[in-house]
Amino acid sequence: MSECSDIVQLEGVTRAFAGAKAVDGLSLKLKAGEVMGFLGTNGAGKTTTIKMMLGLLAPTSGSVKVLGGDPSDPRIRVHIGYMPEVATYYPYLNARELLAFYGGICGLDAKTVRSRTDSLLESVGLADAAKRPLKTYSKGMLQRAGIAQALLNDPDLLVLDEPFTGLDPLARIHFRELLRNLKERGKTIFFSSHELGETELLCDRVAIMKKGHCVYQGPVKDIAGDGATNLERLFLKTLGEAK
Amino acid sequence: MKLFARQTCALVKLSFIELWRRNDIFALVLLGLALMVPLSMATPFGADGASRYLDEMALLLVWGFSLFIALGAGQRLFPPEFESRTIYPLLAKPISRGRLLVGKYIGAVAASWSALAFFYVLFVASVLVRGGGFPSEMPQAIVLHFAFVALAVAVSLLGSLIVTASANLSLSAIVLVGMFFFGRRLPEYAEGLNPALSWVVKTIYAIAPHAEFFDMRQRLVHGWGAVDGGVFVVVLAYAVVYIAILLSLASFALGRKRL
Repeated sequence: MSECSDIVQLEGVTRAFAGAKAVDGLSLKLKAGEVMGFLGTNGAGKTTTIKMMLGLLAPTSGSVKVLGGDPSDPRIRVHIGYMPEVATYYPYLNARELLAFYGGICGLDAKTVRSRTDSLLESVGLADAAKRPLKTYSKGMLQRAGIAQALLNDPDLLVLDEPFTGLDPLARIHFRELLRNLKERGKTIFFSSHELGETELLCDRVAIMKKGHCVYQGPVKDIAGDGATNLERLFLKTLGEAK
Repeated sequence: MKLFARQTCALVKLSFIELWRRNDIFALVLLGLALMVPLSMATPFGADGASRYLDEMALLLVWGFSLFIALGAGQRLFPPEFESRTIYPLLAKPISRGRLLVGKYIGAVAASWSALAFFYVLFVASVLVRGGGFPSEMPQAIVLHFAFVALAVAVSLLGSLIVTASANLSLSAIVLVGMFFFGRRLPEYAEGLNPALSWVVKTIYAIAPHAEFFDMRQRLVHGWGAVDGGVFVVVLAYAVVYIAILLSLASFALGRKRL
């Protein structure tokens, strides 16, 4: 594939906080239509990397390009959908109002928001609870509301931070199917996760972070499936935790 | 421009929903009733002086309530977004921090104005019920009060990005209430102090938000008539410039906030 098909391009990216490097010299590419799992222990630099990809944080050094531009430019973010790891969405709104709010922020017209809201609430399983205030939602339901808001602008790039957190087994299966459908439609998906099984099932490629460094990048098909070199074993081996 | 309009509309609607669905609405109703009851008690006395006194009390309550609502609205714009982590999906959307700040500010001001309008409806209704008239200086007084509320929201918004909620609400209330009651006496007070203290008091007078400029309660109560049109415009211009400065500082503070 040519370089212009790289949806995400990180070149030697470093981000330091008060001298301590949360991400150190990270280079990473994500091609159009790819699904990449971003793995690592807590504090490995996954969320910091995601924040840089969204333009929420500027790198201390190196370059971050998303969809061919600087993600701190709001025009680039029109094409990005993002779901944070944990967010307690506005408790006084219901799911429908939440999506109407985010639709307005994305600049969508009311008619488009209404039609997308109906199908999204249906696909994330919140149609029956659409008029309930979000303060009455469980963690898993809030997570599903978060997925819906991330998909509202029909993004080309979907960035998900720990998307399976709080989801019950059935919701996980539905969400996995949803992501597969998005992949089939050519969407590019980047997600961080501690769920190695889900990552193995969904991803084309994985990257493993350790203390700010990317210690492994490669296709899932090369490592998964033979029982001897599955993702869990690779993950432990890469992090030096294998027994 | 269309994008900005839609984003602003969404933020205004969010502020309205949050204000009117919170417990604030119950506080508003209770406070409104607290306003109505003493005013309705004015009828049996019938004396002009007693009526004026109650008008003055009612207007002071309206000012107090509006300050309470405005400071709360300003304080709630950003800290809850950081605490609940909704700031991340919000800023991951196609909106800059500057636009978000302006949109949220407009939303908080519009929601606070709706509460103030509610209080004034109660006040005017109580005056009319007692057989009083609609003073000619009333529109001017209301406009200046609305401008004060916009200023108070901006003060609270800036404070919310710099200090904790309790510190912000306390400091903002002290500064605004202090200036409201004592602002016009500060220059006179400064003259009687030693040079160093005098300089401090004069500096405070120069930079503090002059809440007293917007207060037309005495004119309303005593029927002293409207202020000169030029003065009115200058006070409004003062509010606009002061708000612009506060929002610029708030934008700087928000830009420096670590996400």
